[in-house]
Amino acid sequence: MLIYKLAIRNLFRNTRRTILTVMLIGFSLAALILTNAITGGMIKVMVESVTHTISGEAQIHRLGFRDNLDIDLYLEDSSDIENRLAQDNRVKSYSPRVIAGGMISSSYNVTGGAVYGVDAAKEASVSKLKLAVVQGNYLSEHSTENATEILIGKPMAELLEIGLGDRIVITLAEANTGELTQALFRVSGIFFFGTREIDENMVFINIEKAREVINIYDASHEIALLFHESDITATTTQALLREFNHGETEALDWQDLFPEISSVLVISDFSSFIVGFILFLLASLGVINSMFMSIYERIYEFGVAKAIGTKPIQLLQLVLFEGFLIALMSCAFGIAIGGGIGFYYETRGIPMGEFEFAGIAMNNKIPTVLTLEQFTQFPVYVILLTLVATLYPARFAANIVPSQALQKSL
Amino acid sequence: MLMWKLAFRNIFRQRRRSVLTALSMSGGYILCVLSFSMTEGSYNNVIKIFTEDHTGHIQIHSEDYLTRPKIHKNISIDSDVENVIRNSKFVRNYTKRIFSPALAYSGQKNTQVRVVGIEPELERNTSRLADKVKEGVYFNNQQNSDGYYSAMIGVRAAKSLDLSIGDELILISQGADGSIANDIFLVGAIVGSKSSWDSSIVYLPLVAASEFLTLYGKAHQYSIMLHNIRDVIDATESLKKALPQHSINPWMEVEETFYKTMQSDKEGNRFSMFIIVFIVFIGVLNTVLMSVLERTHEFGVLKAIGSRPQTITFMILLETSLLAILSILVGIIAAIPLILWFANVGLSFPEPVDVGGIAFQHMTGEFSLRVFLLPMLFILSFAIVVAIFPGIRAARVLPTVAMRGN
Repeated sequence: MLIYKLAIRNLFRNTRRTILTVMLIGFSLAALILTNAITGGMIKVMVESVTHTISGEAQIHRLGFRDNLDIDLYLEDSSDIENRLAQDNRVKSYSPRVIAGGMISSSYNVTGGAVYGVDAAKEASVSKLKLAVVQGNYLSEHSTENATEILIGKPMAELLEIGLGDRIVITLAEANTGELTQALFRVSGIFFFGTREIDENMVFINIEKAREVINIYDASHEIALLFHESDITATTTQALLREFNHGETEALDWQDLFPEISSVLVISDFSSFIVGFILFLLASLGVINSMFMSIYERIYEFGVAKAIGTKPIQLLQLVLFEGFLIALMSCAFGIAIGGGIGFYYETRGIPMGEFEFAGIAMNNKIPTVLTLEQFTQFPVYVILLTLVATLYPARFAANIVPSQALQKSL
Repeated sequence: MLMWKLAFRNIFRQRRRSVLTALSMSGGYILCVLSFSMTEGSYNNVIKIFTEDHTGHIQIHSEDYLTRPKIHKNISIDSDVENVIRNSKFVRNYTKRIFSPALAYSGQKNTQVRVVGIEPELERNTSRLADKVKEGVYFNNQQNSDGYYSAMIGVRAAKSLDLSIGDELILISQGADGSIANDIFLVGAIVGSKSSWDSSIVYLPLVAASEFLTLYGKAHQYSIMLHNIRDVIDATESLKKALPQHSINPWMEVEETFYKTMQSDKEGNRFSMFIIVFIVFIGVLNTVLMSVLERTHEFGVLKAIGSRPQTITFMILLETSLLAILSILVGIIAAIPLILWFANVGLSFPEPVDVGGIAFQHMTGEFSLRVFLLPMLFILSFAIVVAIFPGIRAARVLPTVAMRGN
């Protein structure tokens, strides 16, 4: 008990030093929490903009289609697969798509692009296409009579110098035969996702119309999926993908579809680990320094304590306990600062300037993502590291030789 | 002189404390150097790659062709543009190109491609195209005996169309006069790799492309390589003055998204460096304050015998700066092998990551004077700022109070 009393008293003998040390460790903890929260936010934005913008959490294709988007490699049994997906309770929504590269021309200009044939209702349940329409209307659900509907991106509309209601001619080659075919559309809506690749290159038409133009009936090139389970690595989700992954059909989750995103995740994890490690190495130096100063000031006291029979282990405990108390206060300080700032930006988002990583534009503010482990695991690490740093000065204090210590200060 | 002696002696009075403080400053310095070197090195490397690969350092277009390409926004080859470029002292090489989207056919297969018409010899000296020929030979402006021009085709397009050297390639597009353009070419070479910029491009000799698109004597783009990329702003300005009616775009505008991403990333890095160094210097402040408090008695004596307050503040500043300089020296010695390794070997990502439209796979360091110098100034100024408060405190010591205390 005496040791604890002494330790607390010692800390407040030089309050400024204690405060500075607490700030040193506390700011390091806050920096660690915030780095993690910001990285988490960026990852969330990235993953969501991949999975919830257009691609879905998983996709089903004919084997080899992804290599060159070869129009001939379509899923012949698309409607079978769709029926199975519709009955599967793990699947939240799905959307079949017909994809063809073609030339898109207005009366003023011409550009190349990817023509997506989609089912209006199903597409709206998987991607943000419906929400991204900024002018005009989304595709109508019963498509036969409005077969000339087309949605195009804002930058492409500007390039082609057209607006709502203007005519567009799309030149495509039919599947299987390669015969050239042209179809006339009228711009019914203009969309803007903020992702260059989509806005500049993609146009959307009704799937029935697309099938008719390229001459594939009841087939599709891609089926995009969303699941109820948000963790893509969950066993139920992976089992579902395996069920569809056979023969000429491949079913892949976004981690396999976009390996570069996973690669970004690995890099950012690694770099925050390095930064955290170095930060705490530097903070530990500060802790050692400050503990040594406090020991030097009390070297006479330690000498006296030992002279009257205090065991080295007790002095070791005393210094370690002081270190522990400092660590506790630092954690409280760090959690308050890190949590406060993190919480403030959790809804408001941190403006990060203009970013585009892995084809994903992040021009919006990045919201911080706070997790439980930031406030439980990280402080535990901090306390352990502080204790390790304190060991060195503590051993020094324990090994003080009374005769020398008392002599010095006389 | 006495000041310096005193400062040195004070640093070595508490050796352990000085060493620990110096180590934390060295650590902060090394971290800054490393981060600075990596961002500069990686970005400069990737900028070098894409400017040399295809964009060039400066591009000249007609009107807003860069953002809204249109076949009619072109530059006449016989205008004074080429003369101005040739006579500029900054320019090393230049090339001219025309572009058009097209559908490419081979038997049953088809795919959408981008046609680029180039002047073979100018292109060879300006971009890396000639080095990227994987199969076949780099083409020239000549038709073969049957009247066919040779085309060079990107890997992805070649694979989609199942084409190999000598095969026929049919291109369909829209001509400048509004007619349907179509023509047959022979595959003379396959260029680049699957991930390269031009994997879906068909290169044609400029004469052939002009004929194909009925766009005679015109170019959409002049791409310029300078002697030195550092002159890009000056060169842009001088070209702008000489060619006021054209759009002159340095690479920062050509790859605008990448450039903005790079700027934001660098800014973010500077900010996190600032935070880390700030934390380091809380520790340094602690040490300096301690050492000032310990010596209150001495400062009292110094003042009693007539030292001026400024002298005492100066001494504290000198001590801290000296310690910072020593730390930086240690830091430099430790950082040199580290930076050399990163500059020569570096890190590679498992997959190329697209940063603002530019593929990024290698992170390399930059080994240069400024990589070591800028963090040095940063740490030194932090050290001086941190020492000011304890310095003033020491200077304010009242001799009577200070000497009574002991």
